Amino acid sequence: MAAQAQEQDFAALQAETKKVFEDRVTPFFKSYCTDCHGIYRMEGGINFAPTLTAPGSPSSAKTWRQALANIRAHDMPPDDAKKQPTEEERQMIVDWMGTIKFLSPKDPGTFVIRRLTKMEYGNTLRDLFGVDPEIAAELPDEVFGEGYLNTLSPLQSEQYLSIANEVINRMMASQDQPPTEAQKRLFGDTPAPGDDLRTAARTVASQLARKAYRRPASEAEVELLLRVFDLAQENKLDYSASLCLMLKAVLVSPQFLFITPAKEPDVGMTIAPLDDYQLASRLSYLLWATMPDAELSVLADAGKLHEQSVLLDQMKRLLADPRSRALFDGFGAQWLGLMGLESKTFDTSMFPQMTAEMRAAMVDEARLFFDSIVRENRSVIDFVESDYTFLNGTLAALYGLEKTVIGTDMRRVKLEDANRGGILGMPGILATTSFPNRTSPVKRGVWVLEQVLGEHVPPAPPNVPPLEKQDKQAVANLTLRKRTELHRTNAVCANCHKILDPIGFGLENFDAIGRWREQDDTGGAIDAAGELPGEKRFSSPRELKAIIAARKDELARNLARKLLAYALCRQLEGYDEIVVDQLMVVIAKDGYRMQDLISQIVTSYPFVNRRVHELEVPKSYGQ
Amino acid sequence: MVNKFRIDRRTHLKGLGAALALPLLETMGWADSSTSKDKTVAVPVRLGFMYMPHGVIPDQFWPVNAESFLTAPPPALESLQPVLDQCLLMKGISGVPILPFGGAPHALELSTWLTAQLPDADTRSQINIAISADQIAANFVGGFTSLRSLELATMPQTHKENQEGLNEGYYTHCSFRSATQPVPAETNPRSVLNRLFGKTDQPGQIAKVDPLDRQMLDLVLDGAKELRRKLPQDDQHKLDEYLDSVRAVERRIAAIEYRQKEAALEKSGVASTKRNASDSPPIEIKIPVGDKRSEYMQVMCDLNVLAFQTDTTRVSTYIGSTPNGVSYPELGFNDEHHSQTHHENKPEQVAKVAAITAFNIAQFAYMVKKMASLREGDGTLLDNCIMMWGSGLEDGNKHSRDNLPFIIAGKGGGAINSGRFLPDTKGNQGDLLTTILACAGIPLDRPIGIATKQMNEMKHNH
Repeated sequence: MAAQAQEQDFAALQAETKKVFEDRVTPFFKSYCTDCHGIYRMEGGINFAPTLTAPGSPSSAKTWRQALANIRAHDMPPDDAKKQPTEEERQMIVDWMGTIKFLSPKDPGTFVIRRLTKMEYGNTLRDLFGVDPEIAAELPDEVFGEGYLNTLSPLQSEQYLSIANEVINRMMASQDQPPTEAQKRLFGDTPAPGDDLRTAARTVASQLARKAYRRPASEAEVELLLRVFDLAQENKLDYSASLCLMLKAVLVSPQFLFITPAKEPDVGMTIAPLDDYQLASRLSYLLWATMPDAELSVLADAGKLHEQSVLLDQMKRLLADPRSRALFDGFGAQWLGLMGLESKTFDTSMFPQMTAEMRAAMVDEARLFFDSIVRENRSVIDFVESDYTFLNGTLAALYGLEKTVIGTDMRRVKLEDANRGGILGMPGILATTSFPNRTSPVKRGVWVLEQVLGEHVPPAPPNVPPLEKQDKQAVANLTLRKRTELHRTNAVCANCHKILDPIGFGLENFDAIGRWREQDDTGGAIDAAGELPGEKRFSSPRELKAIIAARKDELARNLARKLLAYALCRQLEGYDEIVVDQLMVVIAKDGYRMQDLISQIVTSYPFVNRRVHELEVPKSYGQ
Repeated sequence: MVNKFRIDRRTHLKGLGAALALPLLETMGWADSSTSKDKTVAVPVRLGFMYMPHGVIPDQFWPVNAESFLTAPPPALESLQPVLDQCLLMKGISGVPILPFGGAPHALELSTWLTAQLPDADTRSQINIAISADQIAANFVGGFTSLRSLELATMPQTHKENQEGLNEGYYTHCSFRSATQPVPAETNPRSVLNRLFGKTDQPGQIAKVDPLDRQMLDLVLDGAKELRRKLPQDDQHKLDEYLDSVRAVERRIAAIEYRQKEAALEKSGVASTKRNASDSPPIEIKIPVGDKRSEYMQVMCDLNVLAFQTDTTRVSTYIGSTPNGVSYPELGFNDEHHSQTHHENKPEQVAKVAAITAFNIAQFAYMVKKMASLREGDGTLLDNCIMMWGSGLEDGNKHSRDNLPFIIAGKGGGAINSGRFLPDTKGNQGDLLTTILACAGIPLDRPIGIATKQMNEMKHNH
């Protein structure tokens, strides 16, 4: 029922968007733009003719974005144009562009095949063979973009091969020893004398491939593994050594290293539901960063996993398991920007506290806090405002709590100081967004806007000197705040800095490693007062946090967008924005709870479906 | 003797299925007749590239004039003094104009460095630029060695910053196997060592390989064909990338098998086809324990030298530093490199940038001096190399790209007329890369990036 209502709402919005497009948008472009940007003259390479013919197609998106920026900034039409649109007309275009997403065809996007990440690969080897995931340590680290930039060193296969050798070394018992657990599990019993070895090997190959490929292997795939077995036999390897060569082939096969579909979709289909094996892998790699376990595999074999109630039960089960810390390791740490904290340079004379233990405790604090919101199904607003955190003795020193929190174990601590609690007052994040020797109100402001509120902050224009370049004499006696405010005397800078600097100033009571302070490095008193758009005034981190926490919809939408992109391993586009709109309505009902968000994502249209052939690019949206 | 060895092995590798597609060039006017003559009997030329971001302090980098280059070199080049007579400096090489992406000087200084070309503006959120010069070279000579090419970096390539909507990978990559395939660099010296020689603690010694592995990989590649057929085109490209890398392993095992056979023959008294006896023994690699940047960079340089010395690869690229957030505590200050380059001519900051530049050049100098100390045939290893050090900006304070700083060390087997400073060259970075590849005997069927000509003033008999 709910789904049907959604479809209807969507159809209504699409109709409205089309109507405004025809009645108002097209005439606007025809009267103000297409003389210079049409099929006869393409000034600046811009031609609105195709854009106006297919406004909802992905290829139009860039032209719209460019047009939006220029219309809003009054850069276009140029000053010497024959006529200028009214303010009301400009606003109409800006508003309409926010609705272009309704013109996108309903499209789940492709299921991009991708290689397992280093973490996923190590965990999968652990689950298959009982080896330490550190066995993958020598693989290079991934470059993360939105989704992944999954490049492959031409030499990486070599590492896969050498890791496969190492796996076999560790798994196989030596000659005179009884077989190991993993060996028995994967290779079964040694055939009795006189049994056909190839028949026995076929059974092993088929079972091994089911586990390692995370789906039943095709007849041809099993046959190929048997050819490897034959190769070993021809070279006089004994039965178990021959199985080892076969196992090695499994571990360097693309079917193991990539998540691949079990079967081809029916001919003529453009959109297909994920098969249950793919769905099991997608869910398991999202929440656990490893292969599906026995329970998920049984459900996939039975063809039950795609049933929504089953899928949601499995999601809850996976989240309750300690392995779901992978959601922080793979997603949370990236989102919060903590990936580089371990190796970030600090001025050791100013901050001797930044030892390896301290850095590890900072990341642990963020991880345990993130986990608590996930496992206890708290509101995502708690990321910004909460009254607890996780500390050990080392980290407690930064909070001034070293008398009460003692020892190396991390534990949950109730916070009395409302300036703390939540990611804005968390030392790891405050340190990540600082320079090696001082705080950076600008970096902190950008971080809050982009990572917490999901706004896009344009880069500084070229040739703007950072603070260090200011005239030393003139600024020597100014506090960092006063120096930073000099930005805003320059009109070019002021536009953005008037929004991002106040947020950073509001956090100036926290030094570059997150300790509370009343004075900045110059000895001047910290002035943490500021104002955000909408006359929202604050005078302390506590009040700043409250203002940001009140922007619930933006906070939740930002996290939803980032998590959906991570779950799909690709950038969001066109129809995905509709998916986000729809899930926001649902999760708002119970105060934006984290598990509601994850439930919505794992049952969302693009998560459980895939596009298998290119959609027809519509000539016009109407037909 | 050396020459005979080359011919033998090349033929042998071809027999193993590593035959190369040789582009047609001579007819296109891009081949260099002065070096391509007698190519089959020449000692191979090795190509190395090493990068530093943000430019230099011009008056501390450029020699006063051609005459003073060797007698009174500028401060930035002091560390190179013993080998300056084997270096070539040219002023007047301009970078790719980055005007269409005016707000992203640092994303582009590295990614245009070896491509001499801008990213495609319409697909800027993805990697779409051009094959880089080092990879062009690797396509040509990579088949002769067990490693196609070597890519190294000091910092992990994980920087996230978005300027002008450009893909974040542009900040941290300079090697591209194709327009859309950035080549990741290795940052762990231990892994580099393993890749060069397999897991053995004695560099230069050949690791054991299992010929069965090669045949097994061959079967895996065969089996991937069916999977490939089922996938949509984009996914096929992803899979191909992996399968290419599997093929590289196959080839490496084949190369090692060949070396093992050769060693066995030698042991049984059959006339050696091995390296000339006058060659120096393989250098020793010590992996540092601390995190001192100079030690770390030097071991990466050592690995580069060793890879060239043992002819394990003939092309290497070392991103000595990336444009983002790097500081040099070893120099006595913690400021980030980038923040200091906007120095506005304040003496204190100019001094810091000069120190960082001299530090980076000193690591390059460490590498080329070591190469100059290793005998190879009748000369030194450096004689047979072209080692290019450079930056993607001229002056970080202004983001200018009119006179990009480059140092070319080595003679490229005799092609390059070194020991000179040419104060008034005219050319661009594409011309430079094109000429360097030509000097290394790499035939080109088209110019690199914005190149319009070869810079013949670099060569002998000009």
